[in-house]
Amino acid sequence: MDPSAQSPELLERPAAGWPSDEIARLYEDHSRAIYYLALRYLGDPQKAEDATHDVFLKAFRKLDQFRGEASARTWLYRIAINHCQNLQHSWHNRHVLANSQDPVWETTPARTDSPLRVLETKELGQRIQMTLDRLSDEYRLLLLLVADEELSYEQIGVLVGQSTDAVRGKLHRARKAFAALFESTA
Amino acid sequence: MKHQSKFSPAQAQQAAHAQHASQQQSAREFASAEELLRYDAAQMEVPPEIAARLKDASATLPPPKQPWWKHLFTR
Repeated sequence: MDPSAQSPELLERPAAGWPSDEIARLYEDHSRAIYYLALRYLGDPQKAEDATHDVFLKAFRKLDQFRGEASARTWLYRIAINHCQNLQHSWHNRHVLANSQDPVWETTPARTDSPLRVLETKELGQRIQMTLDRLSDEYRLLLLLVADEELSYEQIGVLVGQSTDAVRGKLHRARKAFAALFESTA
Repeated sequence: MKHQSKFSPAQAQQAAHAQHASQQQSAREFASAEELLRYDAAQMEVPPEIAARLKDASATLPPPKQPWWKHLFTR
């Protein structure tokens, strides 16, 4: 969606502290998606808050460079992914992550067709985070992107620099890995 | 001795409804990882501090430039 496309209602509405309605709308429409990606990718609410702030500030500064060739959502995701990956690399040594070198799911029976049962919804966030933390960065990112219904496989492919077929294949393995690891957190 | 309920009938009914709702919530199932993540994302609240910080930080930003043709449609 073109972030500069404004409805007549929005043009009449004051931006409530924002420098412009365009910026207000960009934040209103996409902050949840960007914050969720940052939170579950980084696994830390404070870091996610800082990252979301930095991503949007960067976007606001570059808004005149946004040419509308991609959707505003994918443009923001691109900034967010770069930002989170840079943070992740700088913390790499302090983070203990199970990755593709520790393939727990490879020896676990496939459960991709079985539903994921959740008995305690109040602990759901913790279980999801534990599961995502144990996935490789690549699988975690793919699952978080495919969870956004606004993104097509083609757009995800562009964001992660892979073909659509590669995305489909990796997503299949990522779902399998997630299901196996999620079960182990019960 | 017969045990007496400390709840009135109305309270007992309310408690039963609450328990039923809780059981329904606890039996949730998700067909796939992305469905689970979508549910998780929908529960998520973006901390209002982010917007407050951004408003402060972006107060000095120049207004975004608009292409010349857009001025024609926003008059």
